[in-house]
Amino acid sequence: MNNRFLISIFSAAFSAVMLAGAAFAEVKIGVLVPDSGPAGLFGPSTRHSAQLAAAEINAAGGINGEQIELVFADVGVPPAEAVQAALKVWKAEGAEAFIGMHDSAVREALTGLFKGGVPYVYTPVYEGGACSEGLYVTGETPSQQLAPVIPFLMKKEKVRKWYLIGNDYNWPRDTNALARGYIDDAGGEVVGEEYLPFTVAEFDSSLQKIRQSGADGVLITLVGGASVGFNVAFASFGLDQQAIRLGTLIEENTLAGIGADNANRLYSSAGYFSAIKTEAARDFATSYSEMFGEDAAPLNSLGQSAYDGLMLLAKLGNSAGSLQVAELEKVAEGISFESPRGTGTLTGRHVAQTIYLANGTGGTFDITASFDSVASAEACP
Amino acid sequence: MATLLILNILWQVSVLAIVTIGLAVVFGQLRIMNMAHGELVMIGAYAPVMTSLLGLPGYANIVVCLVTVGLIALLMERLVIRHFYGRAFDSLLATWGLSILLRETVELIFGRGYQSVPQYVPGTFSISGTDYPLYRLVVMAGIIPIFAGLYIWYRKSKIGVEIKAMVENPSLAQACGINTSRLSAGCFIFGALTAGVAGLLLAPTIRVEPMMGLDYLIRSFFSLVIGGLGSFEGLFIGVGIIAGAQSTLGALFNQTYGYLFILILSIVFLWLRPDGIYRRS
Repeated sequence: MNNRFLISIFSAAFSAVMLAGAAFAEVKIGVLVPDSGPAGLFGPSTRHSAQLAAAEINAAGGINGEQIELVFADVGVPPAEAVQAALKVWKAEGAEAFIGMHDSAVREALTGLFKGGVPYVYTPVYEGGACSEGLYVTGETPSQQLAPVIPFLMKKEKVRKWYLIGNDYNWPRDTNALARGYIDDAGGEVVGEEYLPFTVAEFDSSLQKIRQSGADGVLITLVGGASVGFNVAFASFGLDQQAIRLGTLIEENTLAGIGADNANRLYSSAGYFSAIKTEAARDFATSYSEMFGEDAAPLNSLGQSAYDGLMLLAKLGNSAGSLQVAELEKVAEGISFESPRGTGTLTGRHVAQTIYLANGTGGTFDITASFDSVASAEACP
Repeated sequence: MATLLILNILWQVSVLAIVTIGLAVVFGQLRIMNMAHGELVMIGAYAPVMTSLLGLPGYANIVVCLVTVGLIALLMERLVIRHFYGRAFDSLLATWGLSILLRETVELIFGRGYQSVPQYVPGTFSISGTDYPLYRLVVMAGIIPIFAGLYIWYRKSKIGVEIKAMVENPSLAQACGINTSRLSAGCFIFGALTAGVAGLLLAPTIRVEPMMGLDYLIRSFFSLVIGGLGSFEGLFIGVGIIAGAQSTLGALFNQTYGYLFILILSIVFLWLRPDGIYRRS
């Protein structure tokens, strides 16, 4: 009896040590996703994309021979709360790196928290110019989405007069400041520029101004529900006959809300669409639906960006032989990684990548053109 | 372009009127500050989505809308609302809770994403050289007889008199043989159904998602604050001022000014004239 008791104690202790050992052999990576708040719609696809990336990284041997484990936290909250959530994952859970898919206000708060103490890959489309130590950005910036696309569209659709409309905050304003330059260079003119508060749910007066301006192109930097409402109303007035539309944040969910009836001549520019037909993109989509089912949250550029973030982090970690920021900084510049978007190259903390122009006519995206290795003008010096 | 501005104002007034009528009935007659009113509009807007999921033809939209919203309103009234009649502030908290419950339920069933509702009447119609969405013209034309009918019915019918009696003096009304419990329930469900129909009508012209209800609640509430409670006249004055001011200022300057004006106006009214412009005698 005594012996058996001892044996049980030993085996219990032994398995505890084994378990602890196994846990130590894993690198924890904090993945900051918007489960709640206005971007909550993108929570599930972001989580899935991160999980898929982790599975692929682990199957390929992990980071420096260690398997990775994702620790998710909700950052679809005000910045101060997001900082608390990230701090918990960092200090209490022991995360050694972070991937973030959230807004810029949260990013600013997080760079203030991390202060280069832990690698941090920021993944969504954003206005550019974030240059902290240990911060790497995979998302598209306005120059990437517009520099090749505006001249191409102006030629293809014979557009000359642009109307710029967006929500009233820095991403649309920065985007439009750049757009003016590209439109000028291509021989066009800007006939109107307008910013709407987030609370606006009716767009009649803006549509009236667009009609009066005689614009034949509309650049849309409205976000989420505002973009859906605007585009629905735009088409109901028959303005799709007058002007093409180009959006830099119209992804699959937004297009679904706009609907097939209202998407005539609606273009979108981004680094990822589920409609990309390259082998890498198709393999990615297949793995995604195999892993999460056919009914899983639809793929879109924001959710998918988390995959790119992890792939870049794995590449950085494996090249540096460590996840220490000081070591990563030595190898970061010029490093390349593969993703469903194509080949990405880290240049000035930002990723030079393929940009796709898709046409949403008929309610589903169809890739019109792709532009390889587009570098970001907002990259860091 | 003046034609376009006038049509836009008329459309905004119509939209706000059909959304606000239900809130006016429930708030004005039952003293229930229904914070879940916007969610009832939202559920009405989901009716076409449910119809197509059920595989029913398009004209079943209205039936699906009335049945769904009616059942939800009945449950709300029987389980929660009836305990709060005449307690405006308590009802505000209770219905706020209900609004969250309704939003989360819709999110659970349909997901968080945007739903697309096909246009019921596509195309535009040219009025003095201005292309205007045909569907809007149809809705505006349809709303006038509906409101006229409601106005006459409320003025002339026995139920209209009973409602007035119940609002004035519930115990006396009960003593006179009016079943106030059933009458209040009827009133609440009627208000909810108008919200549902408003949602159904608006669905092809707006974004449809679980959070959309909030847009409508706030402007409806401001309309009632400005116009005054308990009468059709007050309702239309309030709706006209809110929607008219927002459209006009939005067209002349920009939308921020329109929104600012409404907020300032509402604060001034709450402060200096809390009964609104059209006071009930």
